[in-house]
Amino acid sequence: MTVLILTCEQDVTADMVVAELDRGAVPVVRLDPADLPGPVALSGEYVRGTFRGHLSVGGRLVSMGGLRSVWIRRPGAAASHAAEASDWLTEESAQALYGMLRSTDARWMNHPDAARRARHKPWQLSLAQRCGLPVPATLITTFPQAARDFADRFPDLVVKPVSGAHPQEPPRAVPTSRVAPDTDFAAVAFGPTLLQRRVVKRADIRLTCVGERMFAARKTVAPDADPDEVDVRFATSSALWQPVDTPSSVAAGVRTYLREAGLAFGAFDFAEDAEGMWWFLECNQSGQFGFVQIESGQPIAAAVADWLAAPPPPGPRPNGARAWAMEGH
Amino acid sequence: MRPFALNYARPAQQLEVSAPYAYDSRLQLNVFPDGRLAAHDYAVLRELGSTTSTAGSKTHFDD
Repeated sequence: MTVLILTCEQDVTADMVVAELDRGAVPVVRLDPADLPGPVALSGEYVRGTFRGHLSVGGRLVSMGGLRSVWIRRPGAAASHAAEASDWLTEESAQALYGMLRSTDARWMNHPDAARRARHKPWQLSLAQRCGLPVPATLITTFPQAARDFADRFPDLVVKPVSGAHPQEPPRAVPTSRVAPDTDFAAVAFGPTLLQRRVVKRADIRLTCVGERMFAARKTVAPDADPDEVDVRFATSSALWQPVDTPSSVAAGVRTYLREAGLAFGAFDFAEDAEGMWWFLECNQSGQFGFVQIESGQPIAAAVADWLAAPPPPGPRPNGARAWAMEGH
Repeated sequence: MRPFALNYARPAQQLEVSAPYAYDSRLQLNVFPDGRLAAHDYAVLRELGSTTSTAGSKTHFDD
C-alpha cells in the first residue's frame, strides 16, 4: 500500500515526511498536480461495477486501489505547468485527478471538502466558540459605523485578512496589524474587514495536531517587545519555539474542533495572555510545521508519516460524501 | 476605494533566493550537489526560511 503526497517540488517540509517514510520502507509516490498532463499521467476505468485507476510519475506507476493515504500538502493548480495551460485544462485535470482519488478508499490528510470548509476563518471562529475555546471579540464587517462602534467597545484592536490570503500584483503581505485609536474606518466599506480585540500576549502558541497526537510549542514575547509587532510571522524576535504542555481544557476543545471539522491535521495558533489563557486565533488545515520541528525538536514529521502509513481501520470503509468527517481521526 | 486591510499591506518579502539544493525526482527529495538531503540540514532550512509560516504564501494561505 502506497502513500500519495500531492505537493510542489520546492516543499522541503514534505521532504521531512518523505524521509521518514523512506526510513520505514513505506512506499510513497510524490507528485505535483501542476505537472498533469505531462510528467504526471493518469488513467482510470469504470467497468462492470468496479473502478480501476493508475497514476504515473517519474517512472513510478501506482494503482489507485493500492493507495493507503493521500496527503494534500502544497499542490500546484492542476495543469498549471502544461505547455498550453488554461483555466479549462486546469478544471479538466483537477476533476480527473481528484475525482478519481475520491473514488478510492484511501484516508485523507485532509479531505478536500473538509479542507475547503476549514479555510473559512469566520467558520473557524464559530466552531472554536462551540468547542469551548476562548475567542477574542471579533467583528467582520463592511459597515464603517459598525467598525467605529466596535472600536469604541474594544479600543485596542488588530486587523487581519479574512481569508489569510496575500494580495498579488504586486505581491504584498498583510500581517496582523494594530489599529491606531484615531483610525478612520471609512474604507471598511470597500472590503470585508476583520477586526479583533488585541490580546496582550506573553507568548505565541503553535499547536500542531496530527490525528490524535498534539505538539504544542511556545514562543515567548519579550517584555520589552514592540506592542505594534503583533504578527509572530513578521516579528523580529530571536526567541525560539519551545515544547510546552497543552492545558487539558484546550486539548479537549481542540479534539472536538478537529472531529467536527473532519480534519486529520491542523495547526492552531493561540495567543497566551498574562494569566496564561490561550486565546484561539486560527486553525490552518495545512499549516507549516517544519519551522516548529527545527526549533523545538518535536517529531512532527514522523507523526505525519506514522499517520499516513497506518493501516486502514478494520471494517467496511465509508466512502460517501460525509466519509471525511469520520476519517479525520 | 482601497479596502481597509490593505492600508496595512507591505511589500512581500521576496524569497526567491536561490536554494543550494534541487529536487531529485528519483529520490522524491531535495538534495544538495553532494547528495545530502536538504531536509536534514536544519541550518540551511532556517537560513532560507524554507519551512516557515510565510513560505509558499504566494499560492497557499494555510500558514
